[in-house]
Formats: sequence, structure tokens, C-alpha cells
Amino acid sequence: MKVLGLGPHGERASPPERVSLLPEDIKAARARGLRVGLAMHTLEGDWSTRVVRGIVGMLGECGAAVIDVIDCGFSADAQSAALECLRAQRPDAIISLPVANADVAEAHRRVSEDGIHLTLIDNVPTGLTPGQHYSALVSADNFGLGRMAAELLSPHLPKGARVGLIGYDTEFFPTDQREIAFRSWMEQNRSDARLDVGRFSSFADAERLAEDFVRRDGDSLGGLFVVWDTPCLAALRGLVACGSHVPVTTIDLGREVAGSLASGGPVVGIAAQRPFQQGEAVAKALVTAILGRSCPEWIALPGLPVTRDNVVQTYQAVWREVVPRAVLEGVSLVKPVR
Amino acid sequence: MTDQEIKATAAKQKVRPRGSESAATSLADILNIVRTGRAETRQELESASNFGRSIVADRLSVLGELGLVDESASGVATGGRAPKLVRFSAARASIVVVSVSQTAIGVGLADLSGRLLTEHHEAIETGLDASITVDRVIGLIRWFLSRHTAGPEPWGISISAPGPVTLADLEPFMGRTPDFMPGWERARLVERLVETFGVPVWMRSSHDAMTMGELRGGLGRGAESMLFVRVGRRINAGLVSEGRLYRGASGAVGLIGQIALAGQGGTLDACAGAGHVEAAGRQVAEEGRSPVLADLLRRGAEITVNEVCQAAQMGDAASVEIVSHSGRQLGAVIASLASMLDPKLIVLAGTVAQSNDIFLAAVRETVYGASPPLVTRDLQIQRSQLSGSAALLGAAWIGTEELFRPDVLREWVLTGTPLQHPAFRALRDNLAKSEQRVSEDGGEGPDKAEDGVEGPDKA
Repeated sequence: MKVLGLGPHGERASPPERVSLLPEDIKAARARGLRVGLAMHTLEGDWSTRVVRGIVGMLGECGAAVIDVIDCGFSADAQSAALECLRAQRPDAIISLPVANADVAEAHRRVSEDGIHLTLIDNVPTGLTPGQHYSALVSADNFGLGRMAAELLSPHLPKGARVGLIGYDTEFFPTDQREIAFRSWMEQNRSDARLDVGRFSSFADAERLAEDFVRRDGDSLGGLFVVWDTPCLAALRGLVACGSHVPVTTIDLGREVAGSLASGGPVVGIAAQRPFQQGEAVAKALVTAILGRSCPEWIALPGLPVTRDNVVQTYQAVWREVVPRAVLEGVSLVKPVR
Repeated sequence: MTDQEIKATAAKQKVRPRGSESAATSLADILNIVRTGRAETRQELESASNFGRSIVADRLSVLGELGLVDESASGVATGGRAPKLVRFSAARASIVVVSVSQTAIGVGLADLSGRLLTEHHEAIETGLDASITVDRVIGLIRWFLSRHTAGPEPWGISISAPGPVTLADLEPFMGRTPDFMPGWERARLVERLVETFGVPVWMRSSHDAMTMGELRGGLGRGAESMLFVRVGRRINAGLVSEGRLYRGASGAVGLIGQIALAGQGGTLDACAGAGHVEAAGRQVAEEGRSPVLADLLRRGAEITVNEVCQAAQMGDAASVEIVSHSGRQLGAVIASLASMLDPKLIVLAGTVAQSNDIFLAAVRETVYGASPPLVTRDLQIQRSQLSGSAALLGAAWIGTEELFRPDVLREWVLTGTPLQHPAFRALRDNLAKSEQRVSEDGGEGPDKAEDGVEGPDKA
């Protein structure tokens, strides 16, 4: 699939194959005995777990030791402190998923000024440029994911429907891209639809926003899009509390939204990222840069559209594990256990 | 006394302006000294401005009330009390920045110091109707402003345009879309932005904006002489001389893509631009001379300049030759320019230059081989690190320079906002009247922002 979005500075995407490592690269990396620290936005959720697993596994193959993995809990202050802590350990490289833009820019800048290689996941803090401050950004095609989510929701929307869009309150490259792309697709392809936009700063807000959308007098809700799966679960709770069954799409093939999709809704479509492969690409980009080879500024992985028809196969491809029994039961591939 | 001594004595005498006209002048002078970092304390301001202590104190008080300067921070004491630092309030307002090229649009927000705060880029189809692109730009600006409702109000929109903007097109406040490319005049980009957002609009060619961006925030920071070359479907250049953007007699500096290449049967654009790379890539794919591109073609992928450059970077021989050829063609032209202009730094930007090392190597080899040793002795040829941000960053700097131009600033500084500048208010009135006439004649009215539930056309 083609990457539809552009990078944070307007870069054209490079495929992960651009940072493939040859046996001699791996041998050279092993000889360096690299030490690498990770500062993740969060370690909660399936996506983060798999990205870290991809990174750690690939770095292990390259003889690099992961010396610390810090959960920044979506807090800019916590991430700035985490980067200080990692810097003090003088690693060869730091991999970071910046939780914000301006608020964590200085902390990231100090990493590169210390001569520590910096590789970014999904987001670039304000003012940092590739080649100068960081070696590469590795992300999903978030613009493509947003368009995919709109496309998956559209067949379930009645004409003239009011569509709820629950976005993320913090300025954050991936979720902004998804929101812009969702809106753009609806504008171009469903000009009859009307968007009702709300943004959450905590997952509890997402639940309240969904309830507000449903309870708006005299204008029934036709569908809902939430920018990723964890707040989507909160929004689903809000819909259930109101007795609503409107169709929902989201991004990230988490276990629970996959269950909802398999059992016939309210989730009707998911635009899935490939976190394990993304994690591997992050590690390869880092090794490529450390070995002094040319590294693309933006490496992007296309998303995968998931419907009830392909949820089992896509789940296996994304998570590299057997699908939960509830999902298999939902699509009638196994009989429910009595 | 010598002439020099007379001048020095005159400079030491404190100027004492009188009247409201001189108040505006001194306010503008003091604000620009603070804004450009030439003075950080009241004492330094007195020295840099030649105004007396009471004038400086009075003007700083006014500028503080208008929210344009801030004196809350203290400096380092050098004996006695620590001096108050005088800082420009760059967050007083924002500037919306827009870049439009043939294949992408970018929109962002910058502060009044020209610092880019946030940006978004998206691809557009080549040859898309200009009015659709304008709709999309307006939608994205609305989205950004809705995302930053708690932030400062915008004081202007600065645009990097995909064609030449001549000096004759420029006014302190633009009210008409210049004829920079066929079809755009009818799309009324400038008029619609002024009508929709009620702020001044400025516009420069993309190579001017990118050169400015590279000069202020990229590899060219602090450079006295720089040649900036952008390699896209068109190849354009920007020139920095004595630390400033050089725009030529009519503002058309740098249209080097139109240079005819002897013995090549075409212009530099046709023989080395992204269009050439793309067409040559498609040809070697179809002829099976490039295994990488042929495989992509077999799988139904479109062969664009990106695919060719990436294939070259991965070692595909036919793609390497296409990209090298393009680099050598450009290198020959740059060598002539370098011999004439003797720049200290040459920065290459654009997809072809930024997505691989082969192009850069070919340009370097040709320039170093074909230019006089005296020119190349300290010459650096680098690849831009700013990508599409260069145009937005440059547009931000162009916006701030226009807002704070002494002759413009003097007209609005007493009101505290450029939106009250008499010429801009007159421009808005004129545009409103012409819109009203169009409306009465049955045409479409100006865009209106709506509250509550949005139609999807809002972003």
C-alpha cells in the first residue's frame, strides 16, 4: 500500500526497506557494543508493548543492549526528566516517542547536543530537524490511517448523518494527522455529512464526549470516529451508557476493539498500525545512522484496513500471535465454550 | 574636529523627539531595536537608539501596555541592582504561514519572532484546480486556528507561492493575487484570505521563501553569501549577498531552470528536474533496465521521482545513472553561477536532492571540477535539513519583516495592532465593497466561519 501522508517537515516517505541491514552491517553494529535507552510516551496498551518488543528484538540481533525503558505516562515533565536520566547514563543512542511538541523540545535538543544519537517514533518536537537533531523519524502513515477510518465508516452512515469525531486535545503529530485526514476524506467524499468535533485530554473525557454527542437534543448521531483505540474503549462505554449502537471506527487493532469488531459492533472498522514491524524499523534506522550510512528522514509504514471479514488474519499479522478466543467466536470460526 | 569626530559627538547627543508623529517614530525605533536583539536593557537601548532616558522609559511603558515588550525578567547584576531585561513579546500575536507547490501544500503557525510553532504538510494532485487548493488552504488554516483558540490572534498570513512574485506585485498589504502561475489569479487566493480571516497577506516566490528559511533557521544561519538551489519539477535558486536576500531589479532572481543547456536539447528543468528523473525512471522500468523499478511497475506502483531516488539509494544501477546525470547537469550550471558569484555556501533542497546521496555527490564533483580553485577552496555544498519547513520558516520571517518594517510599523504601533493600520483598513473596506457588488450581482459571497456543528468543508 502507498503512504498517503507527508512527514512533519513535508518529507516524502521512505519505506522501511530503505534501512534493511545486511550481515556486514549487523557484524559492524555488534562490534560497537551499543547501549541504547528508550523513553516511551506510555508503556500501557498493546501498541506500545509491541513497538518496544520490535525494537528490543532487533537491537538484540545487532548486539546492542537496551539499558532502560522509561514509561513517561503521557507527561511532558516526566519525559523531560526521563531524558535527563538517560543522558546521565551516557548511552550511544536514545529512542524517544515525544509526548508533546514545544514542551519537550528542549529536553530532546539537549540529547543531540550531547552527541547522543536520537531516533524518534511518531512525533517530532518543535524546532528539531532531521540530520541536525535526530537521525530519523519512524511512524505509521497516520494521514493514511485517518482516511482509512473515514472510508470504513462511510458505508454505515445514513445520508446527512451527524458524525462525531473525538480527537486528542494535545498537539501531537500522529493524532493531528489522523483528524485532518478523516475530515478531509469526509469533505471530499461525504459532503452530506456534518462533523461534530470534541477533543479529550483524559480518557474519561472521551466517555463524556461520546455521551454528549448522543444526548444532543433533536439531532441523532449517525456515527463516531475516535483517533485511537484506548480512548475509543472509553467512548464505547459512553455509548453503552446511553443505549446507543451507532457505528464506530478507530485506529489500532487493540484486543478489545477487535472483539467488538468481530462480534458485529459497534466497532465496524479499524485502521491498523503494524507496531512490531515499526519497532524493528526504528532499531534498523538507529543502527543505520550510527554506522554512518545515509538514513531517510522519515520512514513510514502503511496501515491495514480491518473489517469483520479479515479481523482474524490481520490480528495474526499485526500481533504475531493467536487471536483471542472471543474474536474467533465473534466471527464464528469456533463454537462458544459452554 | 574631523568629520568623524563631529559625527561621533552628534551621535552622543540624546535626540529629543516632540509630537505624536515623532512618538510613533520613536516607539517603532525602540520596538525594532528590542525585537532584533540589539539591546536587552534600558541602558543599552539608550545607547542604541540615541534617545534620552525619559523617552526610553516612556516608550517602553507604552510598548509594555500594548503587550509588545516585557520587562519582567532580570539580567545579571554587575555590581548593584540587577538590570531589568527588555524582551520583545513574540507571543503577542501569531503569523499563519502557507506554502503551496505543484505537489504539496503546507500550513503552520509562527510567533512574531519568526519561530515556527507548528506545521502540517499534505500532498495534492499535480494539476489540481487552483480554487480547490485555495479551499483546502482555507480549511487547514481554520483547523489550525480552531486548535489554538486559546493562543494569540493572527496578525497576518504569509505565503510561499509556486511561481515568481515580482517587486511590482508587492505592497505593504496585498489586496490582489499576483499572476504568478496560470489559473491562480482567478482563484483569488489573496483576496479570499483577507476576506475570510481579516488579516494582512504577504506573498513571495517559494525559492525566495525557502532561501529566507535556510538563511534564518537552516544551514545558512549567519551566512554572508549563500546560493540556495531547489530541485523540483522546476529548478530555482535564491541568492543571499551580504547577509540579505538579493531580489534583483524585478524580483525574478533565480529562475535558473529556464537556462537552455547547450547540446542537451532542452532547459535545465527539462534535463535535470524531478520531471526528467521521473520520466527516465519510468522508461528504464518499462524497458526492464532497472530491476527495482520494473518490479514496482509489475506490482502496479506508480513510478515517481521518490521511487527513482530511493532505488538509486538502494544501489539500483539504472536509477543511480539517472540521478547522477541530473546532478551533473545541475552541477555544470551551478559551477558557472559559483564562478560568477563566489558564494561561501551552496544549499541544495527538493526531493531529488534530499532523498539520496548520489545527487549531492554528482553536483559536488561537477562544481569542484569546473569552478576556479579560488572559488571552491572554502566552498561548502550541503543538503538542506529543513525539507518543506524551509518555505514555511521563510514565510514566517518575511511576515515579521513586513509587519515591523519601520514605515509600516510607525502607522500602527500607537494602536497596538497592525489590523488597525489605515491602509489595511482601507483595503478591507474596498474588498468588502467589491464582494458586496459581486453578491448583489448574484455571485458567491465571502467564506464565513460558523459556530457549533461544522460542515466537513471546514477542514
